Amino acid sequence: MRFTPTELTDDELALQSDVRDFLAAELPPGSYMPGLGMSAASDRAFSKKMADRGWVGMSLPKEWGGHDRTAVDRFVVVEEMLRWGAPVAYHWVADRQTGNIINKFGSDEQKTRFLPKICAGELGFSIGMSEPDSGSDLASVTTRAERDQGGWIVNGTKIWTSNAHQNDWFICLLRTQPLESGGNKREGLSQFLIDIHDTPGLELGPIPFLNGEHHFNEVSFTDVFVPDENVVGVPGMGWNQNTTEMAYERGGPDRWLSVFSTVEQLLREAEGTAMGERTIELLGELAARWWGIRNLSLSVARLIDSGHAPSIESSLVKEMATRFELETIEKLVELVDTELSLESESLFEQLLSQCVLTGPGNTIRGGTIEILRSVASKGLQGLPV
Amino acid sequence: MTVDALITETADRLFGRLCTHDAVQAAEEGGGAPEIWEAFTETGFAWISLPEEAGGSGGTLEDALEVLRLAGYHAAPIPAAENGILGGWLLASAGLELPEGIVTVAPGTARDTLKVADDGTVTGSVEMVPWGRGAERLAVVCGGVVASIPVEAAVVETKMSLAGEPRDTLTFDGAPADVVDAPVGVDSRALRFRGALSRVALMGGAIEKMSQLTVSYTNEREQFGRPVARFQAVQQHLVWAAQDAALARMAAEAAGAAASRGEAGFEIAAAKLNTNQAATRATKACHQAHGAMGMTQEYPLHHYSRRLWSWRTEYGGTTEWAKWVGEAVAAQGADGLYPAITGGSAALI
Ligand SMILES: Cc1cc2nc3c(=O)[nH]c(=O)nc-3n(C[C@H](O)[C@H](O)[C@H](O)COP(=O)(O)OP(=O)(O)OC[C@H]3O[C@@H](n4cnc5c(N)ncnc54)[C@H](O)[C@@H]3O)c2cc1C
Repeated sequence: MRFTPTELTDDELALQSDVRDFLAAELPPGSYMPGLGMSAASDRAFSKKMADRGWVGMSLPKEWGGHDRTAVDRFVVVEEMLRWGAPVAYHWVADRQTGNIINKFGSDEQKTRFLPKICAGELGFSIGMSEPDSGSDLASVTTRAERDQGGWIVNGTKIWTSNAHQNDWFICLLRTQPLESGGNKREGLSQFLIDIHDTPGLELGPIPFLNGEHHFNEVSFTDVFVPDENVVGVPGMGWNQNTTEMAYERGGPDRWLSVFSTVEQLLREAEGTAMGERTIELLGELAARWWGIRNLSLSVARLIDSGHAPSIESSLVKEMATRFELETIEKLVELVDTELSLESESLFEQLLSQCVLTGPGNTIRGGTIEILRSVASKGLQGLPV
Repeated sequence: MTVDALITETADRLFGRLCTHDAVQAAEEGGGAPEIWEAFTETGFAWISLPEEAGGSGGTLEDALEVLRLAGYHAAPIPAAENGILGGWLLASAGLELPEGIVTVAPGTARDTLKVADDGTVTGSVEMVPWGRGAERLAVVCGGVVASIPVEAAVVETKMSLAGEPRDTLTFDGAPADVVDAPVGVDSRALRFRGALSRVALMGGAIEKMSQLTVSYTNEREQFGRPVARFQAVQQHLVWAAQDAALARMAAEAAGAAASRGEAGFEIAAAKLNTNQAATRATKACHQAHGAMGMTQEYPLHHYSRRLWSWRTEYGGTTEWAKWVGEAVAAQGADGLYPAITGGSAALI
């Protein structure tokens, strides 16, 4: 394991400056409610504008509507969007992972059907992995797809499906071969592309978030027919494909920028006043830590561009970064030492309130820190992951 | 800029051969390691990054930092930083002669009283001088001058750091010194940043070694019929230490790269702050994972953990640097906060 320091090239810096100009023009501070990193608002028009700039599906091939850009280019765009709290939720999952999966494992027909729309910012994806009885032990999923004429019949339930009510399709991990006792759970799983809103037998309902917001959904299938052309890659190989998908999920700026807009707002509201010593010191600690973690995270993106699959590195970064986010929230709460409310007069306090309420999810979503630690520790000890 | 692999290999081999457990232990008891120092100077590493015209052995600052990283990795009990990028740098940049023997440096504590008189003599004392007792010259920067003072003129009170390394008090009473005006950019602030950078490099190496030691120890040590590394609670320590090793080394290398380009105040400050905190967390995790064995002199963990505890407070502890970075970013205002994080010193107004 080795994180090699890297810096942005002149072209990458030019891209960074384009993105900053775009954001300053589109979303001047004060004109919108900043999101908490990837838990941002969903705004189709904004996704479209980004796509018009070529900033959605950047690393996908031109042939399919993408831009043949690097993982570092995507990193540059994403970090700016997230630190700004821009409304990126609609294209988020499609851009980060589903597009890559389809490009890597999908058929040409699927690429034609999905990738140009993803790159145009016109197709939002959700993730259908978790189930009532399968969370961390994801390979134990029981929602099954059984062979039928020209396709599959699906029965079962997916939960915690973020933003399914706002997105169009979702990519589901389903069991296509029954698990025999003593069999390998990781075999017999397949990935399916399913239309969330136009599929007979599919029911979508909210699972209200602790603060009442609609973020989570439950998706249930009753004899839902999915045609063969919507199976991604080789039936039965879904686990390996899915593991590849997880690698795109880990270690990126989305894991360490959730609290940034809150801290920026703290500074904005303090401008022109004398800041206390503790505020200054905390600001220093946070800026330094962001600098350090960003260097690690950027080096992971560089590794991806050089053809590596840095799964241990990205698990290490994600585990550290999401814990840092929670520590930051705790320190901010201690610093301000006041009754928080989402209706506070201060935007900073509103954002911090939202951080307090949603923060615990940061170390759970996309694989808990406990699971990440066990992945990383196997890697450190040279054991198979 | 990357460092020539030959430097890494040579330094790694040299320290690996010389800095055995017994040798590091003996250095602590004897207050120095003359044989290790001699071998170190023979390779030319003692003067690395100092210009050849000044009697140095050439090379870049990043080369020197790589050697320091490996010195930290092997707990080399020698004044590699003092002689090279600190004291050596002070003398060489002021055009003062580099001595045959060791040059050390006064890091500058609040209690120091040393003054350089107009006639070029020095009076007063300086504390926490690394390897003061074994040095030939002491380099100081104060009051707009750089002075090279013969250590034989000092009354030396020997003291030790938490790691058992010499940190002596040197007292002078009208001692003759070579004194010149400090050139632009050579002052106590610059020394503090360079000192911090040297500690960051050493610490990056030491945390990495400590993290590796902990992985091997916990795989060998068995309890309840299996290696303790099989327990998730122990794995957590392994992962946290590895993260801090990665963070510290990254911070050191990124700050080193920035420093060799020019102004690097932000990067060095951020690196020292990160590394101090990483050292705190990683020493805790690694000690816990070692149980009682880590508390013994016989087992090498303390060669790294005690050095880390000493280095984390040298050239600025966590609060000093948090304040520095905090003031620097607060001055940017909200709109400048993220550009400061991505652009570092070059983006600061
Ligand atoms: C905000 C948010 C958004 C999400 N969005 C989606 C989504 O869009 N699509 C989707 O499919 N899922 C989504 N999830 C679900 C997420 O992937 C799961 O929550 C996660 O994988 C953990 O599963 P679980 O909640 O069932 O916890 P469990 O697996 O039941 O774990 C409970 C506790 O036990 C620990 N634990 C479990 N197994 C082990 C083990 N082997 N070793 C050590 N500790 C263990 C866990 O770390 C955790 O602390 C989302 C979750 C959150 C919080």
